[in-house]
Amino acid sequence: MTRTAERWISLAVFVGLILFWQLLSRIYTAEIIPGVPLVPGWDVLVSRTFLSMADYWGGGLGVASVGEGAERSYAAAALSVVTHSWDTLLRLYVGLAIGAIGGTALGLAISWSVWSRRLIGLPMQLIQGLPLLAMVPLFQLWFGTYFIGKIAFIGYGVGVLFVAGTLNAVRNVPQIYIDNALTLGASKLEVYRTIIIPAIFPELRATILLSLGVAWATVIGAEYLGAQSGLGYILVYSQQYGYVDRMFFVALLFIVYASISYAVFNRVSARLTRWVPRASAPARVA
Amino acid sequence: MTDSSQGKPNDITFTDVTRTFVRGDGQEVTAVDGVSAHIREGEFVCLVGPSGCGKTTLLQMVSGLLPTSGGAITVGAKQVTGPGPDRGVVFQKDSVFPWFRVIDNVEYGMKRRGVPAAERRDIANRYLELVSLSHVARAWPKELSGGMLKRVAIATVFANGSDVLLLDEPFAALDYVTKHQLHDVLLDLWRSTDAPRRTILFVTHDVDESLLLADRIIVIRDGRLVDDIAIDATRPRDVDTLTRPDMMTVKHKLLAHLGLEHGSRRSAAS
Ligand SMILES: Nc1ncnc2c1ncn2[C@@H]1O[C@H](COP(=O)(O)OP(=O)(O)O)[C@@H](O)[C@H]1O
Ligand SMILES: [Mg+2]
Repeated sequence: MTRTAERWISLAVFVGLILFWQLLSRIYTAEIIPGVPLVPGWDVLVSRTFLSMADYWGGGLGVASVGEGAERSYAAAALSVVTHSWDTLLRLYVGLAIGAIGGTALGLAISWSVWSRRLIGLPMQLIQGLPLLAMVPLFQLWFGTYFIGKIAFIGYGVGVLFVAGTLNAVRNVPQIYIDNALTLGASKLEVYRTIIIPAIFPELRATILLSLGVAWATVIGAEYLGAQSGLGYILVYSQQYGYVDRMFFVALLFIVYASISYAVFNRVSARLTRWVPRASAPARVA
Repeated sequence: MTDSSQGKPNDITFTDVTRTFVRGDGQEVTAVDGVSAHIREGEFVCLVGPSGCGKTTLLQMVSGLLPTSGGAITVGAKQVTGPGPDRGVVFQKDSVFPWFRVIDNVEYGMKRRGVPAAERRDIANRYLELVSLSHVARAWPKELSGGMLKRVAIATVFANGSDVLLLDEPFAALDYVTKHQLHDVLLDLWRSTDAPRRTILFVTHDVDESLLLADRIIVIRDGRLVDDIAIDATRPRDVDTLTRPDMMTVKHKLLAHLGLEHGSRRSAAS
């Protein structure tokens, strides 16, 4: 199948999903509370639901908030969506970056020698066993409900994945490349820098994709339990009042942001793994 | 004690070298058993023997990737204690780093030793030309054939300036034509280097290959050195060289060592 044909099919599936949802909203018209349908159609989502986002605008920039007595406005709604999204995305990516870099560094350090395995490996294994979301309250007590606490929590969730992924990838580096580097005069540090790190990258792709999912789950989890801003905060608020349409709207935002993240990641990683033999092997199997 | 004053920069001395492995089932196997030999500077030596006789193990101990269980190996005046750029290795399996372009692979060792960028690029380009790969200098290894990858590996160790080259069945997986082309490439590189010539230890189980390449053939069986044959034929050698009576005699001898000669089987049976 050609690339363009694949794109057309994807587009058709996408449009089909949108139409299906609209159809469903017409057939199943039950309301959870008066005026709020369980299945909000697109007409509701882009008008009333979007406007209701103005409720979460704190004011400023010359746009008065609902709390200050102003009417709901599209300007306030848009500003609200942008600022809350920004807060969440900032937490997400800072946490993700810290977790990815820290976790990879720790994984490499553990793989360095028998002693580092003994000293860091066992405590890491114990930490990995802890259920992630159950740790939210603990992180709150340690770090408060501030930025740093959420970052630490996301970094921890993502970092645990990267430690395990890195250790596994290092184990799978073919010995022959390390031997070749050593006989060409590389030091151990140079072997890590020029052999191990590039060699593990393709295998870490899976970890990175997995960690994007975990990062979203942890940032929302952290915001859900204690935050004055962010998409998770809107979600808690909406849930308390049974605003299904708002929750659905926020979920749509997640989908949009996650799709952009995946697309960017695929671009970047495709460039970084240009050297990998037969990246398109599945095409032959399919 | 070895007399270090007599050690040339790139001769190899094996003194009662032994290596044992403990297999998974707890049994001890002696892969190399009391090998003593002296390889002179600039000599092209082939190690010949049946599969599993300990050729790779012996070579790996010279490279320093594998420690000896007993005895010692000296290269020049220095006893081998670990891998180093003075002993270049061409492995049987593909060892070219897939994440570096061809030219960066050839420069790899020089970069580690701190050769300035412009100089190492010149050297790398020169060796790529000698192995006829100038046109793929900027290619990724995945875009090259098996024979081309071997050329890259050879260019890499030559460019790194090692005094001693260790090659472990480098051409075993290649087709007949490519293999013979690479023999010429290897011999040209070896003979073109300004004196002192590099010492080459070339492992093979291919009798004809050893006859075409070697100054001297060392035969290993069950981890022991069982024969050491000088080859006097002049270079370049070709198919005709192999049919000369003195070469045929050597060939019969080697085949007998490999257990392929009828005469040897008869004599072994009687
Ligand atoms: N890492 C190892 N562990 C156990 N046995 C080994 C190991 N490496 C080699 N051997 C054994 O040593 C012997 C010689 O192996 P090798 O040097 O690879 O032979 P060759 O290269 O001549 O085919 C074989 O019997 C092999 O099974
Ligand atoms: Mg072998």
